[in-house]
Amino acid sequence: MLAYIYAGVALGSIYAISVSGIVVTYVSSGVLNFAFGSLAYFLARFYYYLNTEHGWSQIPAVVVAVFLAGPALGAFLYLALFRHLRLASQLIKIVTCIGVSVALPALALMVFGNATIDSAPGLASEPVRVYRVFGAPLNLNEVIALVSVLVVVVLGTLVLQFTDVGLRVRAMVDSEALTSLSGVSPTRISLCVWMVTTTLAGFAGVLVAPSKGLTPDGMTQLMAAAFAAVVAARLRNLPVAVGVAMAMGIVTDVIQKYLPANSSLTHAILVSIPTFVMAAFLLAYILASGKIHDGSATGGALDQAIRPTGGDSASASAAAAVVKSRTGWSLYMLGPVIIIGIVALLPLVLEGYWLTLLAGGLAFGVVFLSFTVVVGEGGMIWLCQAAFAGCGAVVTAQFATNHGMHPLLAALLGAVIATPIGVVVGLLTIRLGNLYVALVSLTVGMLADNLIFTRQTFYQDGVGVPVSRPGFAVDDRAFAYLTLAVFVIIAIFVVNLRRSTTGQALAAVRYSEPGARTVGLSLLGMKLLVSAISTFIAAVGGSLVALNYQSALPTTYATFGGLVWLAVLVTVGLRSITAALLAGLMFTLTPGIFQTYLPTSWGNVPTLLFGLGAVGLAIDPDGVVAQYARHIQALIGKVASRRGSTEPDPPGGGDGPTTDTSGVAQHALGATR
Amino acid sequence: MTATTRSPAPVLECRDVTVRFGAVVAVNSVSVDVPPSTIIGLVGPNGAGKSTLFSVLSGLHRPNAGRVRFEGRDITGLPAARRARLGLARTFQRPEVFAGLTVREHIQLAYRVATRRRRIWTDMVTARGFRPADRAETEQVALLLDALNLGDLADRPVAGLSLGMLRLVEIARALATNPKVLLLDEPSSGLDDQETEQVVQVFRMAVERQGVSLLLVEHDVAMVMGLCSRIHVLDFGTKIGEGTPAEIRSNKAVRAAYLGDEGAIGRGPAEITVQPQAPEVVS
Repeated sequence: MLAYIYAGVALGSIYAISVSGIVVTYVSSGVLNFAFGSLAYFLARFYYYLNTEHGWSQIPAVVVAVFLAGPALGAFLYLALFRHLRLASQLIKIVTCIGVSVALPALALMVFGNATIDSAPGLASEPVRVYRVFGAPLNLNEVIALVSVLVVVVLGTLVLQFTDVGLRVRAMVDSEALTSLSGVSPTRISLCVWMVTTTLAGFAGVLVAPSKGLTPDGMTQLMAAAFAAVVAARLRNLPVAVGVAMAMGIVTDVIQKYLPANSSLTHAILVSIPTFVMAAFLLAYILASGKIHDGSATGGALDQAIRPTGGDSASASAAAAVVKSRTGWSLYMLGPVIIIGIVALLPLVLEGYWLTLLAGGLAFGVVFLSFTVVVGEGGMIWLCQAAFAGCGAVVTAQFATNHGMHPLLAALLGAVIATPIGVVVGLLTIRLGNLYVALVSLTVGMLADNLIFTRQTFYQDGVGVPVSRPGFAVDDRAFAYLTLAVFVIIAIFVVNLRRSTTGQALAAVRYSEPGARTVGLSLLGMKLLVSAISTFIAAVGGSLVALNYQSALPTTYATFGGLVWLAVLVTVGLRSITAALLAGLMFTLTPGIFQTYLPTSWGNVPTLLFGLGAVGLAIDPDGVVAQYARHIQALIGKVASRRGSTEPDPPGGGDGPTTDTSGVAQHALGATR
Repeated sequence: MTATTRSPAPVLECRDVTVRFGAVVAVNSVSVDVPPSTIIGLVGPNGAGKSTLFSVLSGLHRPNAGRVRFEGRDITGLPAARRARLGLARTFQRPEVFAGLTVREHIQLAYRVATRRRRIWTDMVTARGFRPADRAETEQVALLLDALNLGDLADRPVAGLSLGMLRLVEIARALATNPKVLLLDEPSSGLDDQETEQVVQVFRMAVERQGVSLLLVEHDVAMVMGLCSRIHVLDFGTKIGEGTPAEIRSNKAVRAAYLGDEGAIGRGPAEITVQPQAPEVVS
């Protein structure tokens, strides 16, 4: 029993170090670090590179990889990115973090090599020394984890409570604006916090690698487990977070004593513990107080007064672009039609490998439309769209292959079955705010990865359940046209949705919840509607992806892969129908181009670029398509004005104090065609 | 049989409403009645609790104690959206507009939620997004745009509009919901004299022609005195006065709360600009 407790304390210590980093970053800079797992992976991989691959001993390797590279990476990320996001909406912050979480592992694979690492050493030298404490074994890695968390907690408490730096950090947590007015630089404090917490991420990564493996997925699981404790602490209460993390680690190991070894049930229970912890605390908080806040109103009265309504910097031109797409008819609407027309010609000119990639890209375009709806229209970050797509795919395969149903009917049935799942997840999270939606949906996705998609019924030893295409679309060309037709039908539905009363109501909810409520709109109803629609579309898209590959392979729909999908779409434009199509093509064709025409070592460059593209959201929230669309519109406007068709400045539009009401660009997150 | 004259039952009333934020009592056992087709004023220095009381009345904040009734029905537990659908509209001290919608769309949406609520759900499957609005809606929207002189801005997104224009958009949006009671939080703030006169006319028309009741929070004392039939005065969360404009003018507690010993309630509007500064409680 003691051996289980020792192992549990060690695991809990690693969780506690992780939650310390996540909570401190959140309360001091307002960023819930969804890139924590990737930071941990990058630095732990660097440690492995120095220690195992280049023979450095543990101490110099950890000093360089964690205690020098960690602060440097944290400082770089803060100065280059997060410094600009202080007043940004949670959506922007989350998507930027996801960009980092996609880019860093790809960068690590490029820099340190893409060898598969099944077992990684910890900080103790091999063979790991084992002590006997009260008759039970306790290895040196576990001792290091326990001592580390004690050092972090004690040192952190001393610094925060008894030093001038700690006083400044606490002042900034209460009110960044007032702290700034007192002559203290918030930038400098946040910089220090990012340097420290990135170091903690790296340290946690090195500690957890021996037990969880050195992979991006393993580190994402570490982060998801830490998020459960963060939710328990309502994002801000560090002692509670550390306590829950420790308890979760101990329970995870102790419970194994009472479960059968090597059983799928044991595995299922163990991977579900963070989800159960998160769900239990969420329910308890909701039942106790009716709701919980996502902390978007952090800071003092002055911070809230200067925080832009509905988001960040105003962008009247972006708002105009949003409006043009939704109202009336204009020449601008020809753009998407022309692009779809060009794409429709591609199956006629492409052959073989490229035609297969094109069909796959069109199928992913349908999946990406689900992000367009849920993030672009609903303003919610759902991180389990891949799981919904996977749900559609495996259900389609089961009905089509095992029950002889027509593949398209099976796909429709898959989407119908997936939709209530999306509604339930929405029902549980929407009232809690955007941060909780992202947190819980990520955990749900991880749960689906570990509990459902790994089942042999679906996994089939890594080849998935085969599924045949419909008889009239067996060859790639016909299937590409079938997929394009589905895309166009859903795109027309989305455009109608956007232009209709439903779209207006969704926009109202997205831009101002108090305003929408006092007009008579139900926030829950509108957001549930978006959840249902986007889940349906994701499942249809997932089924098409499976039909394209002619196999419903669950690993295609891994949650981490879903983050890459989101990064790709953000790069091109989150609210644009055209962008969803182009992003789908880019997702499959770009790696194809790299694999065909460039050295193998460049294979991770597309993922890196997608991650960087999402990171670019911090700098320009509109995405590539929107940027170019606006440039073209501006050019057309200039030409028109030269012809003398100048529009008189309407009253109230130019003079007088303007209120930053929009954050339109930041909220719209992209162009709208 | 004797005939008795009774004042009409209030369309909106709150009784002994108390709101606390930790140790701070933002609203302390305040009662306010809003009779039908009247304009009631709610005034007080910064931090008096006016906006917090508005949040309680509109359903954005649950009171710690007290009840809110609308047309005799207890709505204390009803969410804001349900209250809005009953006919309780409001504007905000800091305009809560929908930045990506045009001025026209603000009014359209409010009108549809009030009169054709089903369209929120049916439009997406009936291709209404590709068809123009019907005539009745177009006329109603045009009426409000004209009344508030927003016609030239109708098809512009509200992002980038001046504060005064945003207030007019909010007022138009609130009126489009066909309200029975309209809560107005500093409607003249950011408006010039001409615009203020215009909204005053709109308010009068709404009361006289549509029977709307208005509850007005306003720092423009002249406007309050000129418009309201009855005024409630709050100071640090407590009601310190209630009465007709004439009664409020002569109320010593009110004069003291506003200007210390300098009772300027009865003076011209230009002089009533200095207010005691207390922290505004953000609800």
